[in-house]
Amino acid sequence: MKKYSVFSLIKNALSHHQNWDVAWRDPEPKKEYEVIIIGGGGHGLATAYYLAKNFNIRNVAILEKGWIGGGNVGRNTTILRSNYMYNANNLFYEEGMKMWRNLSQELNYNVMYSPRNILNLAHSDAQMNAYSRRGNSMRLNGIDAQLLYREDIKKIIPFADFSSNCRFPIFGALRQPAGGTARHDAVAWGYARGADDLGVDIIQNCEVTGFDVNNGKIQGVQTSRGNIKTKKIGLCVAGSTSLLAEKLNMTLPIEAHVLQACVSEPIKPLLDQVVTFGAGHFYCSQSDKGEMVMGGDLDGYNSYAQRGNLPTIQHVLTEGVALFPNLSRLKILRTWGGIMDMSMDTSPIIDKTHIDGLYLNCGWCYGGFKATPVSGLTFAHTIAKDEVHELNAPFRLDRFHTGHLIDEKGIGTKTWIS
Amino acid sequence: MLEIKCPYCGKRSQNEFAYGGDATVKRPELNKEVPDEEWDTFVYYRKNPRGNHLELWHHISGCRQWFKAKRNTATHEIIDTFELSDDIGDAS
Amino acid sequence: MTQNYRLKDIGRIDRNHEISFIFNGKKYFGYKGDTLASALLANGVHLIARSFKYHRPRGILAAGVDDPSAKVQLIKDGYSEPNINLTEFELVEGLELQSQNCWPSVSVDVGEINNLLNRFFPAGFYYKTFMWPKSFWYSIYEPFIRKAAGFGVASLDPDPDRYEHQYEHCDVLVVGSGPSGLSSALAAAKNGARVILAEDKPRFGGSLLTDEVTIGNKKGEEWVDDVISELKSMPNVIIKSRSQVFGYYDHNMLVMFERKRDHLQDPAKFTPREKLWYIRAKEVIISTGSIERPLVFANNDRPGIMLASAAKEYLKVYGVAVGKKPLIFTNNDSAYETAIEFKNNGIQPTIVDTRASSENQLVNEAQKMGIDILFENGIANTSGHLKVKSATVGKLNNEKNSFTNLQKIDCDCICVSGNWTPTVHLASQSGNKLKFDEESDTFLPNQSRQQETVVGAANGSFTLKESLDEGFEQGFKISSKITNKNNKTNAPISDEKSLGKHDKFWCMPLPEGKHYKRFVDFQNDVAVSDIELAVREGFRSIEHVKRYTTLGMATDQGKTSNLNGLQLVSNIEKKIVPEVGHTTFRPPYTSVTIGTIIGREVSKYYRATRKSPMHEWHERNNAVFVDAGLWLRPRYYKHGNETLQEAAKREAANVRKNVGICDVTSLGKIDIKGPDSAEFLNRVYTNAWLKLPVGKARYGVMLREDGMVFDDGTTTRISENHFHMTTTTAQAANVLSHLEYYLQIVWPELEVNVLSTTEQWAGAAIAGPKSRELLSKLFPNEDISNEGLPFMGYREFKFFDTTARVFRISFSGELAYEVNVMSDFGEFMWDKIIEAGEGLGIQPYGTEALSTLRIEMGHVAGSEIDGRLISYDLALDGMLSKKKDFIGKRSLNRVAFNDENRERIVGIVPIDKKTSIPEGSYIVEDPNAAFPIPKLGHVSASCWSVERNNPFSLAIIKNGKNRKGEKLFAVSPVKNMSIPVEVVSQHYVDPDGERVRS
Repeated sequence: MKKYSVFSLIKNALSHHQNWDVAWRDPEPKKEYEVIIIGGGGHGLATAYYLAKNFNIRNVAILEKGWIGGGNVGRNTTILRSNYMYNANNLFYEEGMKMWRNLSQELNYNVMYSPRNILNLAHSDAQMNAYSRRGNSMRLNGIDAQLLYREDIKKIIPFADFSSNCRFPIFGALRQPAGGTARHDAVAWGYARGADDLGVDIIQNCEVTGFDVNNGKIQGVQTSRGNIKTKKIGLCVAGSTSLLAEKLNMTLPIEAHVLQACVSEPIKPLLDQVVTFGAGHFYCSQSDKGEMVMGGDLDGYNSYAQRGNLPTIQHVLTEGVALFPNLSRLKILRTWGGIMDMSMDTSPIIDKTHIDGLYLNCGWCYGGFKATPVSGLTFAHTIAKDEVHELNAPFRLDRFHTGHLIDEKGIGTKTWIS
Repeated sequence: MLEIKCPYCGKRSQNEFAYGGDATVKRPELNKEVPDEEWDTFVYYRKNPRGNHLELWHHISGCRQWFKAKRNTATHEIIDTFELSDDIGDAS
Repeated sequence: MTQNYRLKDIGRIDRNHEISFIFNGKKYFGYKGDTLASALLANGVHLIARSFKYHRPRGILAAGVDDPSAKVQLIKDGYSEPNINLTEFELVEGLELQSQNCWPSVSVDVGEINNLLNRFFPAGFYYKTFMWPKSFWYSIYEPFIRKAAGFGVASLDPDPDRYEHQYEHCDVLVVGSGPSGLSSALAAAKNGARVILAEDKPRFGGSLLTDEVTIGNKKGEEWVDDVISELKSMPNVIIKSRSQVFGYYDHNMLVMFERKRDHLQDPAKFTPREKLWYIRAKEVIISTGSIERPLVFANNDRPGIMLASAAKEYLKVYGVAVGKKPLIFTNNDSAYETAIEFKNNGIQPTIVDTRASSENQLVNEAQKMGIDILFENGIANTSGHLKVKSATVGKLNNEKNSFTNLQKIDCDCICVSGNWTPTVHLASQSGNKLKFDEESDTFLPNQSRQQETVVGAANGSFTLKESLDEGFEQGFKISSKITNKNNKTNAPISDEKSLGKHDKFWCMPLPEGKHYKRFVDFQNDVAVSDIELAVREGFRSIEHVKRYTTLGMATDQGKTSNLNGLQLVSNIEKKIVPEVGHTTFRPPYTSVTIGTIIGREVSKYYRATRKSPMHEWHERNNAVFVDAGLWLRPRYYKHGNETLQEAAKREAANVRKNVGICDVTSLGKIDIKGPDSAEFLNRVYTNAWLKLPVGKARYGVMLREDGMVFDDGTTTRISENHFHMTTTTAQAANVLSHLEYYLQIVWPELEVNVLSTTEQWAGAAIAGPKSRELLSKLFPNEDISNEGLPFMGYREFKFFDTTARVFRISFSGELAYEVNVMSDFGEFMWDKIIEAGEGLGIQPYGTEALSTLRIEMGHVAGSEIDGRLISYDLALDGMLSKKKDFIGKRSLNRVAFNDENRERIVGIVPIDKKTSIPEGSYIVEDPNAAFPIPKLGHVSASCWSVERNNPFSLAIIKNGKNRKGEKLFAVSPVKNMSIPVEVVSQHYVDPDGERVRS
């Protein structure tokens, strides 16, 4: 792999950029691989990268139905954080945050990690207490978090509604300084380039149509580009997990739901943080391009259509303007939807399965993007060692039988209610 | 916004309704021994097809009746809606 | 400057009505009927803005929503707004415009240094650099990139304008009022259909406003006026201009915004700025026309270079010549109309045509008029920094990959035409899978997915005759399906100039050895070389190309660039276009104001506010309110300068000592009736209900099926088959749905009906040792002795002209009653209670005192019942019946739920008896342990115990059952506190519950 740097950029500029290498190859699938990762999204690419990098397993293929990075890694609102209440999530995502800090250098690809602070606004004393609890949980785990009060917030986002007409006034916020954003496409491409360089075959336009299982053991996959042998398969297809599981006669504690997001037209820097609105489900940050990136609720019914309807966007924006009255005058440029694997306790599943050689990485709900590095790392570990990593041990599938659930929101199994 | 035909009230916009999820989930009978697996399947495991899905809706800002809908999860098309007592078999 | 480019005797502007405006500090004039773009062009102003990345000068490319670059900051009535489209905003008095994304000015912009260095900033350059040294990314590079981002500046002030919503149903929605749209609307309306016709521009007619055609012996524009008058006269037609249908959603829901205010000089006071229409249409006719495609050539982005159709529109609609020395550059016949129009207005154009020849009517006419035509020629380069000055034109070789015979032609504008792209966005949003049409070299609608029918140019029918025929036919056919009528209107005879074949060649080669930029996306500075680079680096999917280069991701969403981009990819990859595919067309078609999408739910109307019937009394008595969901509840009643804590202590102490009254109206109330009601409750609650006598209440806890505690409350047996259930304020709606779910779906055999009565009853809790005395004054004729109305007893008493329901239940742990009357009598009841309590020291108490009272009694509430805990954790396991089944019971034998070490509720007291423990603290054994510090549990609720006069908290901690007397720490690092505490019973006051029974 030719290293990217300012020098390579200058050198190539002098030859009018005619000599850049491909970022990743476009190989034909081989007959057999040691490990096959299904799904060329962020988690799949990262898993393959860490299999090769940390476990020296390089005879790996990533099979992608369409184009890599086309699923949720390219459709999310790019928020990174580890401000969870339960240790299982807290420690897992925090390991991810540590990885984000070095990821550009690790991959020699600028993923534009931007630790710009995330503020979870509270609109009542009860909510302040709930955020104290979360912040305390983080601090006891060694993660920086602070409680801010109304006057602090006024200084940070003076254009929020501090008027007497505000329906749910701002009381304060929980702040995680390391919380922020990263450039989503770059994450997919950086891992793809890194994995490819280590010998991983990234095979696009290759749909998995079936599995070869014999005596409860994985033998291979059937694809639109022929059958491929392997003993180990990592299923990394959040949004389509149930569909592939169905081919293995597996049902999962997962529902597919569409989550929409939208961006405004680009404006000069206005908002320097990631902000969530506590009297609704609105979150917002400003992209490096100047667009306000906004998201909120699920549309609220099972869906595999990567499109939602306007009332949800209306709902999200209503919350946005309740928080920032000046947003009313901006214009929505683009809306889009992604399919969420909504698990029944809002936490992910990274585990082995009852089929020997089949590993599962799914159930990410709205939170998969920030987990990309740590999900890849722990899933690679699970596949390579055939046992869960300490960090993903709480995310086993059997928790739906043992009762060791990790339900941050306490809403139970109606996953569409947020 | 979906347009949903409440079997009792007729076509209304989606904002009058609340979603109720997989309608094929069947609660085990009361006071009956139920194996762990059957119970956990009832509580947590869901049909999640791409295509026709049999699901519950609740006309929450209307007649407050729950009813069933057969809806395509890939296109959002509602094939039909049914009263709870209608036996409509498999969704697909 | 006085409109030097305004022509005489042409255009639809109102020349009697001159309007002034300011652009970059300079005053200009235009006319009523101008857009900002036409007014500036009338003054010869082409330089509007700077591009995103290279800060290259940008002008006006188009005359409508397709324009990529001409955006300004607009200041009107003191409010400053970014990214206003010059081509859409209509001129009124009092506007000030400023160029965006430039400093110090649009003509001298420091940012243009990026252009000089542009070879170092190819597509995706930022992924490859800014990584060393690492700290510089955080401190220097990223802050710099972010500062450079964006176009205009958002105001920090709230939007001063208002917006409205309207819901509408119709038989046929017609989108676009060009020839096919007007004819569809007319045919459908005449056939009895309820029609809505929407046009995004201020004037109806689309291409008929600029094309020299006749329809039924009338000039095209006269025919438009006649059809519009006819439609306006029909009661079954709604016709809307300035209305953009921007989204085609599920189940034929289309969404449109209508501009209602900005174009008015003196709008009435409450005129909304925009209105959002949610339109449920039975059928949709999409007649959105087509957008002209730019040609791609070296330095094709200079101000003064614009679409030929736009130049024609500025001429014919606005009476503006966009230049006096125009060069027309085309690969098809339609641009000849623009040339002829210039010539008709006394301006001599030159035509550069990439084709070897064309024998069409228009070409012949142009030739006859003496217009110079350079066939088989293309533009190799242009010059002119802030406005185009000349073009270098050359002969194309046979392969069309190089030029010979280069010549420089002076010009002050270049009008380009690369043929037409149908506007298929709405059809695609509906789910229509587009097909590629070889002949027109574009994507066209295919099979309808919902009820959409595409007609006219949007359907690839580019001639007037085809458009009219399609419009009249489809308008009739589609309406017949709905109205079952047969009133057919035939298409009138029309006359137009025929058009020949276009040249499927649109990307000019570069002059030998040159590396000029040839732009595809003008706003985002995406050039041919960027797309080539993306493909070279393996970004071969069109979606990858889009994301890597940002092609088509600017505010115009690629209306003029997407097709050129994907054809370029198909050329490089030597794939046919359909194999490359297209990116997804997502709503909105054009940008929509956020305020418009929201409507009236702003500021304090963001969410409804629920108030009890006693709300005004609370207000009069200095209540400080707290939000409880949508309800506003008194948190405390402020006496003098009291703080919240002081007031809560006073109010709570008064309940313990005398008597207090609390508004409990917001508690959820559900009426349950039917012969199986008791059986139903027995299944819903964890404890037994079958034997509850009439006239008695019982506390119940309900679980979800996953075993978690869902809600609690008391339910009273009013009569044999009639119960009154109360729920928490927060879960009222969810509990009702939960009950209905089980009654209708799971146990339909149960004969039970449930109904929310939350708003039917006003409720007051009367609590304290003197509450019985108070009650005796309120109901002097009733037996309210401990025997007559025992703990958990219920009675109905006559109360003046109404009936009061009196429950002897207690949340405060004191002797207490709850009185309910019908809501209309709520304030009356409250007044009577206060009156009766006067000599007894009655004081109202709010939710804060209520919390204090329940916490020191060890009663759980919302901060404990958070959906994540089971009965055991909350010490409610004693209420789990072993004798019967109930919702959620089967989940309770899970391993984790039977762990000895599970968390359980306890009381916590600070050892110093002084320091209040913040809610949200964690309980730990060793606050100085290494990270991660092991947590035993958390503090869920805290109060100042008025009974014991020291702080007291409830906590839920591991193995809480066996920890009484242990000394631990409550830590709240976010509040910098670490407090030594002792574990005590959760029941800190009256642990045996004697008071409630007294």
